[in-house]
Amino acid sequence: MRSTSERMGMRRLWRLGLTVVVGVASLAIVGCGSSSSSSGTTSSSKIVNGGTATILWTAGGIDSLDPGYWYYQDDYSDIMEPTQRQLYSFTEQGTYPVPDLATSLPVISDGGKTLTIHLKSGIHYSPPLQSKTVTSSDIKYAMERCFLASVANGYAEAYYPKIVGAPPAPVNKLPNITGLETPNPTTLIIKTSVPVGVLDDSNALALPCTTPVPEYYAAKYDKGATSTYGEHEVFTGPYMIQGAGSGTIPASGYTSGRIMILVRNPSWQRSTDPLRAAHFNEIVFKGEYDITIAARQTLTGSNMISGDYAAPPTSILQQGVTGSEKSQFIIAPSDGNRYISLNTTIPPLNNIDVRKAIAAVIDKNALRLTRGGPTLGTVATHYIPPGMPGFDQAGGDAGPGYNFDTNPNGDLTLAEQYMKMAGYKTGKYTGPALLTIADNEPPASNTALAVQSELATLGFKLIFREVPHATVLSKFCLVPKAKVAICPTLGWGKDFYDSQSMLDPVFNGKNIVPVGNTNTSQVNNPQLNAQMNAAEEITNPAQRAIAWGKIDDELTAGAYAVPWLWDNEVSFASKNVHLQVWAFNGNAPDVTNSYLTKG
Amino acid sequence: MWVIVLLFGVSLITFVIFYLLPSSNPALLRAGHQPTAALIKAIDHEYGLDKPWYNQYLDYMKALVLHFNFGYSFEYQTPVRTMIFNRLPATISLALGAAVIWLVSGIIIGTISAVRPRSRFDRASMGLALVAISAPPYWLGLLTLFLFSTSVGKFPIFPGAGSYVPLTQNPVHWFTSLILPWLVLAASFAAIYARLLRGNLMEVMSEDYIRTARAKGVPERRVIVRHGIRSAITPLVSAAGVDIGVLLGGVILVETVFTIPGIGQLAYQSILQGDLPMIQGTVLLGAFFIVIMNLIVDIGYAFIDPRVRYT
Repeated sequence: MRSTSERMGMRRLWRLGLTVVVGVASLAIVGCGSSSSSSGTTSSSKIVNGGTATILWTAGGIDSLDPGYWYYQDDYSDIMEPTQRQLYSFTEQGTYPVPDLATSLPVISDGGKTLTIHLKSGIHYSPPLQSKTVTSSDIKYAMERCFLASVANGYAEAYYPKIVGAPPAPVNKLPNITGLETPNPTTLIIKTSVPVGVLDDSNALALPCTTPVPEYYAAKYDKGATSTYGEHEVFTGPYMIQGAGSGTIPASGYTSGRIMILVRNPSWQRSTDPLRAAHFNEIVFKGEYDITIAARQTLTGSNMISGDYAAPPTSILQQGVTGSEKSQFIIAPSDGNRYISLNTTIPPLNNIDVRKAIAAVIDKNALRLTRGGPTLGTVATHYIPPGMPGFDQAGGDAGPGYNFDTNPNGDLTLAEQYMKMAGYKTGKYTGPALLTIADNEPPASNTALAVQSELATLGFKLIFREVPHATVLSKFCLVPKAKVAICPTLGWGKDFYDSQSMLDPVFNGKNIVPVGNTNTSQVNNPQLNAQMNAAEEITNPAQRAIAWGKIDDELTAGAYAVPWLWDNEVSFASKNVHLQVWAFNGNAPDVTNSYLTKG
Repeated sequence: MWVIVLLFGVSLITFVIFYLLPSSNPALLRAGHQPTAALIKAIDHEYGLDKPWYNQYLDYMKALVLHFNFGYSFEYQTPVRTMIFNRLPATISLALGAAVIWLVSGIIIGTISAVRPRSRFDRASMGLALVAISAPPYWLGLLTLFLFSTSVGKFPIFPGAGSYVPLTQNPVHWFTSLILPWLVLAASFAAIYARLLRGNLMEVMSEDYIRTARAKGVPERRVIVRHGIRSAITPLVSAAGVDIGVLLGGVILVETVFTIPGIGQLAYQSILQGDLPMIQGTVLLGAFFIVIMNLIVDIGYAFIDPRVRYT
């Protein structure tokens, strides 16, 4: 949970309101996807194998070296994909998992409750364990340690709790998950108490928790309050951190937020890994850059790829996508949303008509302009973003069609009608001021100010406090006892191409917890909870899409929050780089498959 | 003694401010992705965060005084002292290098302007000084990078953002990488100091003892340097002490624009992350430098200003 960048992807509520100075000017003249192809920058030049790629961080880069901790977009793009392999992964534009360490998709039996997975043999670890190969026991240990409080994983509880023997919450001692069986070194059997859709379709087996971790090596580092395995990590992907071969990663190879140097992993064999081309010889991440300088340097320099920011500053973006640098950009949906959270436990927001009035009065176009206009995304009409299963079932671009949700410019008259239905005779709110907590840095702070001004037209007075993004989350919006009424600068990104990861954490009543509460609206509707719990067990993809689409529709009808943007990811690179982006990772740059060009 | 009292006061105020105002819970930073109530409680207890604020403050001061321990950064998962000492050389390099430039240029320009008032040089230099004072360092930094840096500049002459290397690693590269940051940081200070010295020196040069010195046949150059500047420079020394002290505590904007891994960047990131121990450490460091530089200035007066020495 951190707040250093605004890039979308994964479950990244934390990052969505952050400190990147994207600016407030409109880019209305530039449409979405106005640059090059959706998977790679256009280039007719020859592929150059080798060379060094440089990526500039402006917001701290990766969160951790530990695969068990990785959860955010930068973790996935900067270290997970280049350095580690999982049971399953995704091709560049793929929306379904494909085998990575596994030889094939799981063999499913017992009514969807047993998954048998065979592993490729002969996959070696990086030095100092170069003589050791990946076994099913390493995967089992990796998944078990994801339940350790000392590893601080972010999703094991959400996706693996129905594996037989899995603990319901983080534990201090390594759990023995009996539902993970290893009959031989290349076979892993997963047994669940009920069918679990995201396991059966392998989506949840493509997460970093299935990155192999050898127990005989890592156990000693996993003891104590915080695991230190990351500092001694061994790698299975095409790259490893420079100096990691000694068994301890040196500061010259990785220093938090400042530098990370990836070099080739001598144990990796291309023949076993069809997913990673690994063209570069070396990938260097340099941190603490000013975003304007980083963006400009990347576009005008050579061998460079954009770093940990959702978009360059508006002036550079505008110039870039309309001028000669257009071919260096890829603008594509990030598969995430932004929304205004309304706390349904605090009057008058416990009144559905008041919430509908707020939804009606919000000028979503104006909010989008605070982030840079249409280039930065599509106005949202519901929660599931375009391209995700369930999006069409929830109404597609037009949305479910509720009248309070149809006018992207806001409708004050309609909003006042809803206020009257809620008992406010004049159509204006007359009660006490509502505590509203927002980010204190642009563009999120600009969005918050716009929300404040729009709510004022309905008579809402706000106790409006702007604080750093980390504080928005850690002290206010994710802490129910803080009794925050409105959080205008939140958002959510997918974990994989399944809408459970978009809706369940944010709206299922079972996720309301005293701290780290992702259900910020505190929606606890028994009927919706039951629908979501049932949908989790559906294994047929088509039926899952229908089920989650219907849930999205009902959540929109309840106006528990106001979704207002489906974000775009803006990636770019130097002229001599053929940039690839990774759809699974919200279309962030794919450094493992990008390459230098010649001519 | 007052130095210790002052530092103690600064530490107390900083601690109370960040304890009482909205800030991140350090335990949450430590807890990672699964901040369960039980885990938060355990971390609070482990690090004494469940104690009353005054007990936490006393623990902090005890560790600081007895072990020179500034605490632990939950954001960087590193001792604060380590982070600060790792970054201090960059800030010192930047601040002292810039100070040399602004003092030398400020004194030269101010002196020439004072002895030749209303000349073309005086008008031009004072006009430029106004521009330099008005230009925000952040803007000026970006401007110089886009004009002169080898990475993004139109006239690529000097290394740009992110080129800083420690002095011990490569002295030549260290020097060249700091040229633009030094100039940007020194610009407004040099302008202020030049204007300040010009005003003071013009006033001093009309004093009786200057007329006496001239009447005694002392060469004009000696009159200006030994009698004029020596008296007029005292306010500059006072200002330099405070300015250098402040800059040693962190040069946030210039370090940010030029990606220099110094204390300013660290302080800025820590504030954004609500990393209280790191904020506390950087504030204390800043206060320490201001106090020390003022002490040096007080001592320096005795050598610079004859009136101080003889009273």
